Amino acid sequence: MNAPNRFELFVLEDTEKHVEVTEDTKIPNAATFKILKQDHTLGNMIRAQVLAMPQVLFAGYKVPHPLHPYFLLKIQTDGTMTPQAVLEQACTKLIATISSLEAKFKREFSFKMTEGTVPEDPYGTTGAGAQGWGTGKDYLDF
Amino acid sequence: MQTYEDSEPIVRIRDYKQDRVNFMLENVDLAFANSFRRVVQADIPTIAVDMVEVEANTTVLPDEFIAHRIGMVPLVSTNCDEGMRYTRDCICLSGCRYCSIELRLDVSCNDNRTMEVTSNHLEVIPPFSSDEGSPGDELTKRGDDFGQPVGKNKADVPPVLICKIRKGQELKLRCVAKKGIAKEHAKWSPCSAVAFEYDPYNKLRHTTYWHEADPRTEWPIGENAKEEEAPRDDEVFDFNAKPRKFYFEVETDGSLGPQEVIMKGLAELQTKLANLILGLKSETDMPPTGGDTGLAGVNGHVPTAWVPPSSSGTWGQNAASGAGYASPAGGGGWSSGGGGSGGWSTSPAQNTGGSTSAWTTSPTQNSGGASGAWGTSPAQTWGGSSSPNAGSGSGWGTSAQQGWGSPTQQASGWNL
Repeated sequence: MNAPNRFELFVLEDTEKHVEVTEDTKIPNAATFKILKQDHTLGNMIRAQVLAMPQVLFAGYKVPHPLHPYFLLKIQTDGTMTPQAVLEQACTKLIATISSLEAKFKREFSFKMTEGTVPEDPYGTTGAGAQGWGTGKDYLDF
Repeated sequence: MQTYEDSEPIVRIRDYKQDRVNFMLENVDLAFANSFRRVVQADIPTIAVDMVEVEANTTVLPDEFIAHRIGMVPLVSTNCDEGMRYTRDCICLSGCRYCSIELRLDVSCNDNRTMEVTSNHLEVIPPFSSDEGSPGDELTKRGDDFGQPVGKNKADVPPVLICKIRKGQELKLRCVAKKGIAKEHAKWSPCSAVAFEYDPYNKLRHTTYWHEADPRTEWPIGENAKEEEAPRDDEVFDFNAKPRKFYFEVETDGSLGPQEVIMKGLAELQTKLANLILGLKSETDMPPTGGDTGLAGVNGHVPTAWVPPSSSGTWGQNAASGAGYASPAGGGGWSSGGGGSGGWSTSPAQNTGGSTSAWTTSPTQNSGGASGAWGTSPAQTWGGSSSPNAGSGSGWGTSAQQGWGSPTQQASGWNL
């Protein structure tokens, strides 16, 4: 009855922002980013990319509670760059990686298309698998 | 330290079938590969039955049992990014032809044999024209079998069994299929399985094998081990080693083709990252007035805010001047300098209703443009669309307009 809409787990509310930045008051050159409506998919990827940058002293992320759809990302730098700049650069690099991957996938797929490796009969594999199913030997009933 | 930083990611498709693709990914992070797996499984929109109205059910199965089963039936969702709206984004009251597809099932058994009710009995009701919902070109973007159960009436595809009925029993119901993603319910996942493996010899010792005496004799070596060198007996453990090669097999349930799944997965990842960058920009580059100027100025702010720092050297020059992320017609807005992999052009075609969505469409690759940049690859239309919309659309997009308006903390106090 009063259950929240399930899409609230991944759609930003009108009043929400993608990211909130809190600068750390006790640690120099550190900030915590609260990224809303995102999860490990984005968090872990960014964390790894941020850690690969030489200016970064610390980077970590956590999803404080599995029912709360946000994660916290903490970054501390050596002072040559702000954590915001670091995060932004990491994201930019990741997008570049993905777009190069995209081009490569496109090329690979087009090669496979021209080679004609896709069988003509649709779902030939699933059809073959289904034939194996009624035999009763797929698993042993002890 | 990170040598792979400079090297380009490598993809090799080892096997490509109608419903699955097997590929290797090299020179990327474990975290990146895993994110790709997650996004492919959980963030790609498809269509599935979301509501069932039972008119008559005299079968042995209760209504909710049958409703659940029908929800699991994969429906053809090719190009549903453009072919359908989310109901939550649609202005209609409870569903219209732009955001829902109606299917009916009406079966009764009249002979003395057990009859099987299958997904082949589900009939798509052609959308009737009404003025409900704001008009759009969604319907023209759909293929002929859009919304049909996968493999309907194809002899070599066994249909999905829903129920078995005997003489005198009847099942009659109306279903409404909607667009969604698997984060909401797994029935919207385009993948039935995604295999993900790295380090088949367990050189990195990310796992420990249970064993009686010697794990190497008791555990079989996987197929993927052929791609890697077997460890020598005198090899010392390299505790700095990182996984570099990842083996994927993406198997779809037929609602989307494997190529569409892969490409949309990558595009979805880009959308997530781009939205984050945009959020950061709006956080720091707010005009000092802040406050109320926000919404009106969305489109105005985007282009300036979005130009990435040239120091990163990733984007080459950003030629886009007017439309933020989506560059003016002809694409060529961004060339990714990082890697020399050629440009990817964004097409403004998707920027529908610019005022509502500065970002709706995020990186949209125009396959024509991209292939032109590449030369070698002929332009492909996957999913029957020439420009798959990379952004998962308005879900994220519309919300991008938020956050411009409110005053934010300026970046300050950094001890540089």
